[in-house]
Amino acid sequence: MSEDKSNFWVKLQEIDRRWLYAILLVLTSAALFIPVEIPITPDRSSIDLYISLSEVPTDKTILVQSDWTNSTRGENAGQFEAMMRFMMAKRHKFVIYTYGDPQAPQVSRDALARVLDEREKAGLYEYKEWDDYLIVGYFPNAEAQTVALDNDIRTAWDTKKIFDPGTQTDRSPFESPVLQDIYSVNDAGFLMIITASNTIDVAVERLSDNPLLLGCMCTGVVGPQVLPYHQAKQVVGISIGLKGVYDFEYMMKYGVNFPGEDGEPMVKYARNTDLVIEPIAEGITFSRGKTYYPPLHVALTLLILAVIVGNIGLAMSRRGKKSQ
Amino acid sequence: MTPDQYLLLKYSLGVLATIGLYSILYRETKLYRLTEHIFLGLAAGYSIVALWRETLKATWWDKMTGSWVEEAGAATDVIEGLGYWMYMFLLPIGLMGYFVFSRKHGWLSRIPIGMILGFWSGQQVMVWWTRWGPQIFGSMQPVVPTTLERFTVPSEAGMTAAQQAAVAANIYPSQALSNFIFVLTVLAAISYFFFSFEMKGKFLTGMNTLGRWLLMVGFGAIFGATVMARFALEIDRMAYIWLDWLTQLRIVLG
Repeated sequence: MSEDKSNFWVKLQEIDRRWLYAILLVLTSAALFIPVEIPITPDRSSIDLYISLSEVPTDKTILVQSDWTNSTRGENAGQFEAMMRFMMAKRHKFVIYTYGDPQAPQVSRDALARVLDEREKAGLYEYKEWDDYLIVGYFPNAEAQTVALDNDIRTAWDTKKIFDPGTQTDRSPFESPVLQDIYSVNDAGFLMIITASNTIDVAVERLSDNPLLLGCMCTGVVGPQVLPYHQAKQVVGISIGLKGVYDFEYMMKYGVNFPGEDGEPMVKYARNTDLVIEPIAEGITFSRGKTYYPPLHVALTLLILAVIVGNIGLAMSRRGKKSQ
Repeated sequence: MTPDQYLLLKYSLGVLATIGLYSILYRETKLYRLTEHIFLGLAAGYSIVALWRETLKATWWDKMTGSWVEEAGAATDVIEGLGYWMYMFLLPIGLMGYFVFSRKHGWLSRIPIGMILGFWSGQQVMVWWTRWGPQIFGSMQPVVPTTLERFTVPSEAGMTAAQQAAVAANIYPSQALSNFIFVLTVLAAISYFFFSFEMKGKFLTGMNTLGRWLLMVGFGAIFGATVMARFALEIDRMAYIWLDWLTQLRIVLG
């Protein structure tokens, strides 16, 4: 009997790994269609990021350093879109630029187009390029460009010409209503770095001693090395990976310390319960974060099961060999 | 072709590329190779064009040659900015870097590399301290509670500014405990990297072992975050096929 059991576990270990891939693809695909809102407690770093961002005056321009491409779309696209929805709902003007990859401006443009399209369909205020936002493009050499940004943003970015649909000409971005009051990087209300690489390190090294509020949305791979920046108050908050996306969407939906239907807040900030941040008033709140969260749970469950089965199999096969 | 049909075509190419790349999970196929090469070619070509259009033209070529603008009523374009001809010397300096491939003239490549290293090294003095200084200070945390009024930090709700300042000035037992774990972890992890002398005695070997265990816990957490990131990429690809592409297909088919 014990030999049969041992054989069973050994056979399980010998299953072709391609079956595991197939099971993973099928289960995660199926889980995309589960309309479940998984209740969560947002991470402290996500709450800090959201609170800091919510406290930026709406007349302040926000700088968005978008250093991601389609290779990390699974995490960064959700972060980027949530950030766009947040800023548009609050009527912030914003600038998108990139120090990370030449492909990033086009990827950002595509993601932004999706959000603009959904706002147009919902009959919400349509953000216009030049008047409400700018995409100033790619700058190579993140180290040198960040120093230049810190020294003099007008000189650093004045080489770029942006098309103004009003005058049908290429003009300096600083002639746009978005940047006309920005003379130093510290005149911006917030700098959000959405990244899949070490550009957050570069920014912390060169900008974190400024009064400018610095926040970060990064992938799960980059996350662990960024957490010490939050602990040391070099960034105001961090949204990490898919959990970070869902955290952000969750706070957009339910606010912070904002009483829910039962009078209890869905997101509690115990340190200061007087601080109440209302849910986002318009547009979509739940999107990729909510859709991708159930499949992530399914995938992680499958992984844990595979690890357990693999280890039992290994132990059983060793026991079988010893008994022989 | 209507915009919806164009979007469907775009999504369909994306789906084909996804299937092509994921075919590696079955085995290395010609489809995978083809898709991989298309990706690499597109990325390289796009990057070269983007580098010229977004960077070299704006920051080097236009500055060197000056810029002209159309002006209403003028017969010809008018000068907007004069060119700085000295910028032309940047090109040969940059090209010197390619002499790294020549044995005879390899020394020339050291000139631009030396300049880059000089700029980089100069920045590092400031950069190192800005990055690590606050983290070093942040690691020096009080481990002795200054009040025993209550175990956890009280909520600041309904407090006056003076009361909030008093709360912030105190170290509550829960904070002290948390700080102790943090400081112990930092010291134990650092002690693992003392290779200059032999670890002797129960205290030092104990700290060393604890450091190794805590590092393993840290690596485990990092690995977990990495796995989550990889799954997110796979889930996004499935969403692209089953939600984005299928929705667009439905729109086109009416």
